[in-house]
Amino acid sequence: MSEFFYLIPAITVLVGALVLMFMSMYENIQTKNFIVVTTVFLVIALGFSFADFSESYSVIPFADLINNVLIFDTFSNYFNILLILGTLLTLLIGEHYFLHRDYFKGEFFSILMFALFGMMLLSQANELITAYIALEIASFAVYIMVGFNTENSKRVEAVFKYLVLGAFIGSFYLLGVVLLYGATATTNLTELGTYVMTHSGDDMILVYIGLTLILFTFLFKIAAFPFQSWVLDIYRGAPMVITAYMASTFKIAIFSFFMRAILQDFISIVDFWDTIIAVIIVFTLVFGTWLAVTQNIVKRMLAASSIVHTGYLLLAFIALSYKDGAIVNIDAAYATMFYLLSYLLSALGAFGLASHIISETNVKVTYDDFKGLAKERPFLAAMMTIFLFSLAGIPSTIGFIGKFYVFTEAISAGYTALTILAVLATMVSVYYYFKLIAVMYFYPPKQECVSLEFNDKRVSTYAIAFVAIMTVLGGIGSAIVFFIPLMNIDSIIALTQTAVQSLFLLK
Amino acid sequence: MSSDILSFIIFLPAVVAFGLMLTTRDVNTIRNIAFLTTTVILALVLKIYLDFEPSAGMQFVTNVPWIESYGIHYYVGLDGFSLTILMMIAILIPTAYLLLWEGKTKGYWINMLLVQAGVTGTLLSLDVILFYFFWEVMLLPVFLMIGSYGFGDKVGTTIKVTVYTMFGSLLMFVAITYLGVTYNNEFGTWSFAYNELVKITTMDYSTRVWLFLAFVSAFAIKIPLFPLHTWIMETYKNAPTGAVFLLSSIMAKLGVYAIVRFMIPIFPEVFVEFSIYFVAVGIFGLVYFGIAALMQDDIKRMFAYASASHLSFIAAGIFSLNEYGINGALYLIIAHAISTGALFLLVGLIHEQTGFKTMKDLGGIASQAPIFTFIFAIMLFANIGLPGTNGFVSELLIIFGIYEYNHILGYISATTVIIGASYMLWMFQKAILQDRPEGACALKMRDLKVKEIIAFIPWIILVFLMGLYPDVFINKFEPTVTHYLHDILQIGATK
Repeated sequence: MSEFFYLIPAITVLVGALVLMFMSMYENIQTKNFIVVTTVFLVIALGFSFADFSESYSVIPFADLINNVLIFDTFSNYFNILLILGTLLTLLIGEHYFLHRDYFKGEFFSILMFALFGMMLLSQANELITAYIALEIASFAVYIMVGFNTENSKRVEAVFKYLVLGAFIGSFYLLGVVLLYGATATTNLTELGTYVMTHSGDDMILVYIGLTLILFTFLFKIAAFPFQSWVLDIYRGAPMVITAYMASTFKIAIFSFFMRAILQDFISIVDFWDTIIAVIIVFTLVFGTWLAVTQNIVKRMLAASSIVHTGYLLLAFIALSYKDGAIVNIDAAYATMFYLLSYLLSALGAFGLASHIISETNVKVTYDDFKGLAKERPFLAAMMTIFLFSLAGIPSTIGFIGKFYVFTEAISAGYTALTILAVLATMVSVYYYFKLIAVMYFYPPKQECVSLEFNDKRVSTYAIAFVAIMTVLGGIGSAIVFFIPLMNIDSIIALTQTAVQSLFLLK
Repeated sequence: MSSDILSFIIFLPAVVAFGLMLTTRDVNTIRNIAFLTTTVILALVLKIYLDFEPSAGMQFVTNVPWIESYGIHYYVGLDGFSLTILMMIAILIPTAYLLLWEGKTKGYWINMLLVQAGVTGTLLSLDVILFYFFWEVMLLPVFLMIGSYGFGDKVGTTIKVTVYTMFGSLLMFVAITYLGVTYNNEFGTWSFAYNELVKITTMDYSTRVWLFLAFVSAFAIKIPLFPLHTWIMETYKNAPTGAVFLLSSIMAKLGVYAIVRFMIPIFPEVFVEFSIYFVAVGIFGLVYFGIAALMQDDIKRMFAYASASHLSFIAAGIFSLNEYGINGALYLIIAHAISTGALFLLVGLIHEQTGFKTMKDLGGIASQAPIFTFIFAIMLFANIGLPGTNGFVSELLIIFGIYEYNHILGYISATTVIIGASYMLWMFQKAILQDRPEGACALKMRDLKVKEIIAFIPWIILVFLMGLYPDVFINKFEPTVTHYLHDILQIGATK
């Protein structure tokens, strides 16, 4: 296969972004058409990513030309699929929302594509500066999308906070890279990995400091304690669809790069941070849970609960360790990958559905706004219930399998106490997720909403239904539903395994 | 086919429920089809009952991989224990339908079907993860039923009962994963089948105790054992009749069942060692809940306490470590399911007809509805354990069992059964027999309809049949009990 083939998905997305940018110069093109064009490009990119779906490979195409900074393997392909799928579903679920907000003009979709391009690059980056550039392409695109409606002061506040804090934490990353470079004279991940393997003692001090600074950036971007305070305001201020995008897809992109760095190159010293991460997990879980319980606005509750989910993900991360020249508990990496998929589906579903419901109104989405949803729109209420079940980890949804996987690996790595804490957090999460279900099902509708006619036969609804079906299929799998081979839980697990293993192919 | 019959029984109600949910809105059609489904299941269960070979261990087994990378299997099967309870569920649910026949909505019937799928799945699964799956799933329809059709502060109750039971379940979930990991460390492969987990030898004593307690927390909340009972009063009071019936006569029994199915084989020596505490807690619960029941004015609350009292007694029997006690407990599971189920449904009828559910408001029902009173009396006496009814046989066996286990506790249990009789008769006299106080107009209460009487006939027959010829029933599950005691617990007992 030609080396160029591997580049196609990313290039398709880039071309799509440019085409959309040119299209946005013409004012008479309708938003609907932009959505169609974006969808076409995304589907093409997705198709090419699926072409070498479950093969195990790892190539560095045009090594001379792009100087080893990008790497294409099953791992990045797995993430590309998740990212493209996440973007596509965000777009389709948000269709209703976009059409009812006149500030979503053509360039918005171009920016969305640029964000995706940045994330895909990030998952393929094999060099620290490239990763930074990719991260900033994606981040800046997200900053712009967060602040897209400048007439709303909440948006302005959100984008300002996000921009300043994001830029600030970006400087930590750069400082970390500088220190690493100072110690090792390289920024290429593979070479860094070799350095780390062959040196010890005093040679490593700068490496540890540099990596710790980079870790801070990571923790900030995934909203772990103590870098989580931006989440509530920014998720709250952003347009609902963008919140869905940030909470699900963007978080996955961040994980993709850092998982690559840790697994592929820094695994031999990863145990150095175990204590710090353990403390961070404790605070992330406790603090996130506390925040989630106290929220009145559903969007903020979901945002806060996404902090708790970060805690679960870190729990899988900490289970990784290294002993005598071999990775112990590599299963934990699979668990993280699986959990990312399950979280993508359920968070995208929950946030997206909320955005769909409020598309035609301007409400704040408090719990009260969900009153009587089951009577007015039983179908959507059932979907929301599925997503909330999945987030809470109730069996029969993919969220349960994800949690089972993470907890099992954490216990087998010996972090039983942390797991019990995570389970307690899950228990509280049952409370705040079920509160929303209770509101939807057990209260009569608010008076003013009764007269509205809902047109639910539209793209958004079908996209939501698709996500919901995936969520349930991922939790039950094909052993009981015999005739669907694709969403077998085992095949997803096998896929995550192939993906992680491909990281070690070049060694 | 014969091996897939269990899967058919588990999933038929769920499939029918989803089909009905999407296709029709007509309540009568839904109810009729749902009822038909339950009778089909009853027929299938009867077939299983006839084909069942008491001495052959696990039968009708289906074992196919579900999540192969973790050794999780879709593993169902039944032995004497589960057959008895399966039979009970299959008989109770269709008759309960007949009593709940009028005035329900679409969601009510669909949830009833889903619950049936959940409880049957819980009962028949032999893989702990599969068991956990159904254990959680069976709660969700009940959650919806309480919230949608309950009384009073139904939303608060729903959240409370969900979080409460979820707390226990999640602790059990940690214990399950811990067991799985330990198994993997020892044997190098994953498995969650209960007969594989039994083989674990590398766990030290304190770990076993912690895991045991985590499992107990899940089951003790469902049963409920003292002091984890605080959710039931509010729930039974506010929940609709159907949900109360399901919680008290079926789900609570599954808690006891799960103790026998999973905890005895996996933690035999911890079970033996801790049995004294549980027998004591059981007998304390019998007395405590009995006295609490005596204080109640609201009949549903009183039954809630009464039910908790009996279930504590059942738990005491299960932990008494001998054939009398365990046989008796199993027998009481069925007897109590029949009598309490019937009583809850009858009280539900009273509440529906008169709008009252407290003893001080009620009275004079006997003169208005003689057949109702007659059936009420039979079920009441079965519940108290009058000789000739099934309650008598089972309570006697449990008392024997506890006596053999520990003489003093045996005396205590024998003397305290009287409390049960006192609150029940007290209630019967005040709410049913005695006329309402001077000045109050007579209550309007219709008598039972023919359909409802027909529904009760199998229950009444069972009450007396089980009371007079216990051997017929005990023979079906006694070999399993003997197997448990001799092959599993003796290993622990010699320690």
